Formats: sequence, C-alpha cells, structure tokens
Amino acid sequence: MAITPIIVALRRHKAGALLIGLQIALTLAIVCNALFIITTRIERIGRPTGIDEANLFKVSVQRGGLPSDGEAAKARLDADVRTDLAAIRALPDVADAYVTNTLPLANSNWTGWLGQTPDGDKVGPSTAFFLGDEHTLATLGLHLVEGRNFRPEEVLPHSLRDRVAPAQLIISKALAQKLYPDGDAIGKTVYVGPSAPPTRIIGVVDRLQSSTVQAWAESFAWQTSIVPARFSFTYRTYAIRARPGRLDAAMKAVPDALYAVDPQRVIPEDDGVLSFAGIRARAYRADRGMAILMGAVCVILLTVTAAGVVGLSSFWVGQRRRQIGIRRALGATRRNILNYFLAENALITVGGVLVGALMAFAINAWLMVQFELARLSVNYVLAGIVALIVLGQASAFAPALRASHIPPVEATRS
Amino acid sequence: MLKMTHLSKVYRTEVVETYALRDFNIDVNEGEFVAVTGPSGSGKTTFLTIAGLLETFTGGTYHLDGVEVSKLDDNARSRIRNEKIGFIFQAFNLIPDLNVFDNVEVPLRYRGMKAAERKQRIMESLERVGLASRAKHYPAELSGGQQQRVAIARALAGSPRLLLADEPTGNLDTQMARGVMELLEEIHREGATIVMVTHDPELAARAQRNVHVIDGQVVDLAEDPRFHAQVQAGRVNI
Repeated sequence: MAITPIIVALRRHKAGALLIGLQIALTLAIVCNALFIITTRIERIGRPTGIDEANLFKVSVQRGGLPSDGEAAKARLDADVRTDLAAIRALPDVADAYVTNTLPLANSNWTGWLGQTPDGDKVGPSTAFFLGDEHTLATLGLHLVEGRNFRPEEVLPHSLRDRVAPAQLIISKALAQKLYPDGDAIGKTVYVGPSAPPTRIIGVVDRLQSSTVQAWAESFAWQTSIVPARFSFTYRTYAIRARPGRLDAAMKAVPDALYAVDPQRVIPEDDGVLSFAGIRARAYRADRGMAILMGAVCVILLTVTAAGVVGLSSFWVGQRRRQIGIRRALGATRRNILNYFLAENALITVGGVLVGALMAFAINAWLMVQFELARLSVNYVLAGIVALIVLGQASAFAPALRASHIPPVEATRS
Repeated sequence: MLKMTHLSKVYRTEVVETYALRDFNIDVNEGEFVAVTGPSGSGKTTFLTIAGLLETFTGGTYHLDGVEVSKLDDNARSRIRNEKIGFIFQAFNLIPDLNVFDNVEVPLRYRGMKAAERKQRIMESLERVGLASRAKHYPAELSGGQQQRVAIARALAGSPRLLLADEPTGNLDTQMARGVMELLEEIHREGATIVMVTHDPELAARAQRNVHVIDGQVVDLAEDPRFHAQVQAGRVNI
C-alpha cells in the first residue's frame, strides 16, 4: 500500500481530515485523563480498610431526654451502654460488639496528633482516634502484630467533651513507623497534644483506615489510634460482628433488642442500621459517581468520534464513487480499495493521536496544578492510542467495505 | 485477440428484461484498429464495458487473448484489466486529487511495479503524448485535449495488449480531437490493438475496420433492413 498518493490526495481534502483528526486528538486527550481518573478512583474505592468487613455492621442510637454533661450523666449513660452491650452480645446471631465514636469510612473523624515530649513543642504525626474496648480487635477483625489487647479495667467511660488522654493506646503499623521509623513502638510513651498525661503504646495493629476519605485527611488516612474508652454519650454507635452468614438476622435482631432494653431511643431509619458494605458504599459515593461520570464522558466521546469517522468515510466514499470505479477499471482489486480507505483513515487517526498524546499530557499537567491529580502514566496514553486506532479502523471498515464493492463500470457512468 | 460469440447482456428488473446485447458476435485480431459505431442506445458502450471486463455478461462466450473470461473471479479480472487492457474514456476519468505523474502511476502501482521502473514508464508515456513538462500539474490545470492525452499516457504506460477507447474525442473540440486521433493512429502503427467506440463517422473512417451495432447486435450494413430504416429515420449518419 503506497502512502504517498494517499497523503497527496488528503491534502486536497484538508478541512474534513483536519476536523476529524482534531476530534480524535481531543477524544484521546480527554479519554486518557478520564480513564486515569477512573482508575485512580477505583483503586481508592478498593483500598482495604484493614478490618474484616464481612458480617460487620453498625447500629447508631440517639437517646433523648437524658442530660449528657457532667460525671453523673456520663455514669448513667455508661450504665446504659453496658446494658445495651450485654443485650447485644447475648443475641445468638451476634459474635461480638463494642461501642464507639466512629468506624473506618463512617465519615466522622476524631483527629489529633501524637507528640513525643510532654511540652507539646514538638508536634508529632497526625492521627485519627477510634474509641474502643477489649472487644474491638475481635469485632473489627483487626490483626494485632505487636503488643497486647486492652484489659477490661483499662477501658473507661468517655463523653463527647472529654479530652482524649488515655493511659494506653493501640496504634496502626503506619503510625508506629511514622513515630519510630527505626524501632519498636511497644512500651513507648507519647502525648496526645500539649500538656497531656503520658500515654503508653501497648499494641500495634497491621492496618486500620481512618473514618474519613476526604482529601484533607488523606495524608494520615492509615495513621490511626484506638483509645481504650467506652463512648458513653446520648448519641453512640455500636459496632457489631454477626456470626458467619447471620448478618441480615443480626441487623434485624439488634434494634429489636435495643428497643426492648430501652424504648426511649431513636435508631434513624435511613442509616441507623447499616452493614459495612453500606458504610463503604456511602463513603465512596462521590468517587463512584465521578468514575461513572468520567466513564459516561468516555463512552459519549468515543461514540461521537466513531460516528464522525463513519460519517466522513461514508461521505468520502459517496463523493468518490466514480474515482473508485476508475481505480477498479485500472486494475485495483476490491482489497486494494478497502486498504486504500483504511490506510487513509489510519493516516488521519495516527496524526490525531500524536497531537492527542501531547494534549493528554498538557491536560494532565493542568489537572496536577489545579486539582493535585497524579502524573498521567504513559501507559494510559499508549493504551488510548491503540484503542483509538482500533476504533478508527473499525469505524472506517464498513464504509471502506462498501467502497470496495463499487463495480469498475462506475467509471463509465456520468 | 478479442472474440465474443453469441454474447448477450440482459438487464432484469422485477417486471421487464432488457437486452443490451443479443447474439453479439465480434472477432478482433491482434494489431487491428476497429471502430464500433451505432446509434445511441445500440449497445456500443455496453460492448466496450464487457470487452474491458468492467461488467459481466449474461450469456455466450468471450475470449480475451485466448482466455475465456466468464470463469474468472474478481481478482483475476482486475489483474487482466491492469495488465492487458488500457482504457481511454470520453470524460478522461483522471483522478482530480492526483497530479499528472500520479495519475499515470495508478495502474502501475496496482501492478506492484518497482518505483524506478514506474518512473521510467511514466516519463516515457508522458513524453510520447507530449506532456512530460506537465507531470506536476493537476488535471484541473490542463485543457481537455491535454487531459485526454494524460489518459492515453496512463493507458499506454502499462503496455497493454488491447486499447479500448470510448468516444475518445467526444468531449474535445475539432483541433484537439484531431490531435488525439493522430496519436491513436500513431499508437496503432506501433502495433497496438485498438477498439474504439464512436459516433463520429469521420473518426470511424480512419480505423482499419468498422463494426456497426444496432439494437445490441453486430450488423452487416448492406444487408440489414434495420440500418436502412434508421438511416431513413435520420438516426444514423452515413
């Protein structure tokens, strides 16, 4: 297949070729970046939290009509929590449970930082706090890699306004490495903020994601701490592990049991009882929405581009019926004609994707500055180039095939 | 060189069959210059398109250079068109997107000829028709006569065994027509076999032999009453 005469002929049809080439370039640039964003979002959505998510759910309760401030109120609420937990753990479909302020991905971060000196001059790494007790590791299915679990006597009642200043702390491995890159964290003393009492690290869990997935907390998403505290407040969340295969039954039984203990409470209908799968879906709703939107943009762009190629190729075939007849009369086979139109399309497409590749990196550079997006991998651009060449050839194939069936006698028709 | 025996071409629709050629017989020898004449609609051009393998026929046999062509597939017909036949059309049929050089090159490229040989043949052909200096011009930049000369150069470049010309001077003024005709005669003198369809009795008279077609059949003018009827009706020039 001789390319030079095709290029010469294309020069005589600049407008159509340039327009479709530009469309291909824009499509490549946008689709590469969109696919990159989609992949980034999907990877984000698929990150493991570090907990065993199957058979896990939460029940959030609001107890109205009780005072929440003061030690007496806290003692009363703590008693309620203990009663609730006893009722929940007694259910046959429940494996374990504890009360907490929040769960991974639940979008309610308690954050602070851990200093290594009591004066607070030296600010340590940021961390997200989870309140928990000796049942937390089992309920969440966390893997303790060093140290030990909390003892029941170490777990104290904790109200909303209490300062987080525990005597012991279990931290994530990511936080331990941040605090002590060279050594063992177990037994070390840290300080939760300035002028805080010393806190001893007693355990390290393999991985535990923080509560929020928002961008501001991304830098310390895996630097988490579990505080030995029973969250004794009017609003609280019970984290519950159902026995294997009994999730639905447990999700129904727990609210019934809680209402039986104390009917003067509210469990919100929409998100009061939520499986962890539901919590995960809510946390990443925006990411999933963005991925779907970007996917839709890709599909629309690719469809429009394919339609453009089909339209232009069909137009050119219609416009050149006589010319095709002449070529056939001069000895071109059907395959020669088919190859001519496919090669013509390939030339336009290759021109378009080369420009598009540069545009893809330019758009990515702009997104990096404006939205802190990561650098676009060259693999996306290479994959996009291949995809658009295949799309272009597939779109041009039907018109090219029609052209190849134009009979040589067309040369004699006026 | 070209032999059609009892050849027919029928165009069929759901309700009617139209015979463009019926019991058509012709035998053109190698080196002959034959003019095919006849009134409009008589089947001259249909004959030429079948002779040039641009169209298939319905019945009969057609031997071209000793090969029965009805049994050939599309690729084989393309190869014969490319290697053995040169076409000269009334409307020149140059490709407007290509310059003179590239137009003449088209059939040579389909033959898979090497670039150096292509270039040599193209320039020889263009020199023969007196247009070597116009190799980089586009068809739109040439006169009708020059365009037809380019078409002749294109037809000659592949050294065909048979040259088929369909009203080669039909779109040209008298002076240009004369030049083209002289070129065809010169090509014939060099040994080419030429079959030319024409309305023009003056051009036909310059061929070695005239074949007359009326109602899709080759006729002997002296004996065919249809010819005399057409003469009386003023549809045939003598």
